[in-house]
Amino acid sequence: MITKNTNVVIDGGTEKDSERQSRQADAPTLRLDDVSYAYTKGGKRVLRNMSHDFHAGKVHAITGPSGAGKTTLLSLISGLAVPTEGKVLIDGEDLAKRDRYRFRSHDIGVIFQSFNLLPNLTVAENIILSMEASGKSFDRPKKDIVDGLLGQVHLPKEYANERILHLSGGEQQRVAIARALSYDPAIIVADEPTGNLDLATQDDIMGIFRKLAHDGNRCVIIVTHSPEVAKASDEVFELAPIRRRGKRNN
Amino acid sequence: MFVFRNAWKSVIRNKGRNILIIVIVTIIAAAATIGLSIRQAAATARTSGLENTTVTAQISLDRSKLISESRQQTTTDSDSSESSGADGKPDFDAMRSALADKQLSLADYQKYAKSSSAVKSTYYTETTGLSATDDFQPVSDSDNSSESSGTDNSKGSSNVSDSTDASGKQNGQSDAPPDGKMSDSGGMSDRDGGTMVSGDFSLVGFSSDEAVSNASNGSFTMVDGKVFGYGSSSDDDVIISKSLADFNDLSVGDTITVSDANDSDTTYKLTIVGIYKNSTDSSQQMGGPMRSTASDPANAIYTSVSTLKSLGLDADADSDSAAQLSYTYVCSSKSDYETFAKDVKKAGLSSDYTVSSADVENYESSLVPLNNLSKFALTLLIVVLSVGAVVLVVITLLNVRERKYEIGVLTAIGVNKVKVAAQFTLELLIVTMIGLAVGAGVGAAVSVPVSNQLLASQVEQQQSQQSSQREQFGRDMAKPGDSNDSKNGSDSGDGSTTAGENKGDDGTSQRRAQGGPGMMGRAVDYVSSVNATVDLKVVGQLLLVGLGLTLVATLVAVVFVLRYEPLQILADRS
Repeated sequence: MITKNTNVVIDGGTEKDSERQSRQADAPTLRLDDVSYAYTKGGKRVLRNMSHDFHAGKVHAITGPSGAGKTTLLSLISGLAVPTEGKVLIDGEDLAKRDRYRFRSHDIGVIFQSFNLLPNLTVAENIILSMEASGKSFDRPKKDIVDGLLGQVHLPKEYANERILHLSGGEQQRVAIARALSYDPAIIVADEPTGNLDLATQDDIMGIFRKLAHDGNRCVIIVTHSPEVAKASDEVFELAPIRRRGKRNN
Repeated sequence: MFVFRNAWKSVIRNKGRNILIIVIVTIIAAAATIGLSIRQAAATARTSGLENTTVTAQISLDRSKLISESRQQTTTDSDSSESSGADGKPDFDAMRSALADKQLSLADYQKYAKSSSAVKSTYYTETTGLSATDDFQPVSDSDNSSESSGTDNSKGSSNVSDSTDASGKQNGQSDAPPDGKMSDSGGMSDRDGGTMVSGDFSLVGFSSDEAVSNASNGSFTMVDGKVFGYGSSSDDDVIISKSLADFNDLSVGDTITVSDANDSDTTYKLTIVGIYKNSTDSSQQMGGPMRSTASDPANAIYTSVSTLKSLGLDADADSDSAAQLSYTYVCSSKSDYETFAKDVKKAGLSSDYTVSSADVENYESSLVPLNNLSKFALTLLIVVLSVGAVVLVVITLLNVRERKYEIGVLTAIGVNKVKVAAQFTLELLIVTMIGLAVGAGVGAAVSVPVSNQLLASQVEQQQSQQSSQREQFGRDMAKPGDSNDSKNGSDSGDGSTTAGENKGDDGTSQRRAQGGPGMMGRAVDYVSSVNATVDLKVVGQLLLVGLGLTLVATLVAVVFVLRYEPLQILADRS
């Protein structure tokens, strides 16, 4: 299903009723509710009145040309930024009102474009750091979980004690995915996960994401400008460049 | 828990940087330990040094005050003091007679002793002069001794009562050494005796064993016989020095005949019950010019005050040869001494008198280098700590900037900023605590030698200061008597001009003049080593200092961490 209309305006009163009903049946894990964002107060709005639902068990692709606000949207979803207007709802709850640190460490796994792994730590240390930061308790020793995760992202176990600096871009990408999965979040967000990878690796990684969504019933959101990735996704949410949209509206 | 584990891991991971911080903190901590332990040792020495030792005190006339007062009264005085000391001499006689009226009697002294509960005990000595008779001659090692004693006699007899008063006071000021170590200060009073005690022998009457053990000529041991008793049954019992006994070929049981110093027709018969030997010889008798053989410790005849009384020579007697009284109060501690000083003021001691303690003064002057060192240590502490704080802050600042990316990643994966700040604080705390521990150890090891080394240089400085003062005063070892004269007249030599103009100056120059001869006989017994050990208090202070510095440094880190937005950091990176 492809949603091209990004400016859906939902009436506030009826929205709440419909939301409550839909949560019982097919509640969105994550909902953007009329979200706008400007980096500076009263400045240029990067995102404007955006609404969209993201469901568990599906791979969502957010596409659009450069400057359309893809990374900004990702920051809003992952709770690194708070929308200037509108709400980001997680299971119907306003993210702005939640402890966003806890949300980031607990409920969402983010795979950053630049991976954001700590270069002087080993693979296992990076993954365990996230596990510990989540504050969750694990039924198995953390080392075992790391081994399992490395298998899941198709990395050999020997990599566990390798420093991040010694890994290639694709390998770092896999470690970043493993880290995002380590504390079993309900939502996984990836920013250009295949950006600088060869086609085979790209397919492999997309396979991992699909598996996570379909088998693990997670809500997977991928920001990409690659048509292949969009094609491999269950849903595509296309952002139009804001300037052009503005002109068209005029 | 997460914070602790992460902080510890991070400390282990960044060995190089942390070792650098440890080294810096160690240096700061070692310097701070030395400074703190020096201050601690100085404080301990100041408070506890005289805590458990008895302190002796005297009541003495504030002569400089009286002299300057009487000076202001006479109009001609200013002329005479400007011209020369010799012209001013008649005025001194007037002043002396003014001082004479102020002399305290034995009853007065005893009244003040009763007025304060801080006085543990009291004792006194009475000293008078006796002249030789044909069959009993003083010990003398110079040929012209009779000549010199003759001049002294004539000088003394010209105004006996005046000079007696003046020097009796002087005796009170510097008499009664507390123990053998201080016996030289007793020697000083002995030199005073040269100017005052006429005759060939000094007859010293003691009130009790305590007085005997604090004899002004230093402690002694009995060679033969035993010390006299204090009751009237022991009247006329005396002990004489071994040299005197040998000189006159006398032994225990013999009777000696001596005559009154001012009236050779009056003779006294005394029985020798013991012969003593001074165990500490006064060193200055070798160099000082002996005005009178009576001032030679060898010519001191010791007896009880009861004997003096029965001979009609005691302090309250009307005779010209009346003894000078030296009354000593014994307090069990320095604080008791201070209480005593307050109590006697309350009991009506006029402001013309001062309560002084040779022990306390000696002790305080012995602390001068230590106090200087303590001041130096404070300066050192301030400099070291401020430099240390700046260095730590700068290192932390660089550290946080360098680890900006780490902060970004940690906050991005959901670690609370407060937790990140706590982690950074903890890391610095771990590192500084290691540095503090090592520094305290190093400081403890070197603080004793270092502080003693510093103290030695302070003592040296103090001594060279004094010797240069002595040079400035133009008095050398050969004429210590001159400085005493200047004390009496307070108008001789270079000190006079300032002394006449300024009362405060007068006081200090007097003290210096006093210190001068003291230095010749013996060095002031400066506290030349301290027990600058590092105890729990110092460690506690060091910990506080360390925590304080760490807090200052981490405050900077915290401010920076809280300022960073993860999104910005990560955006900058990519």
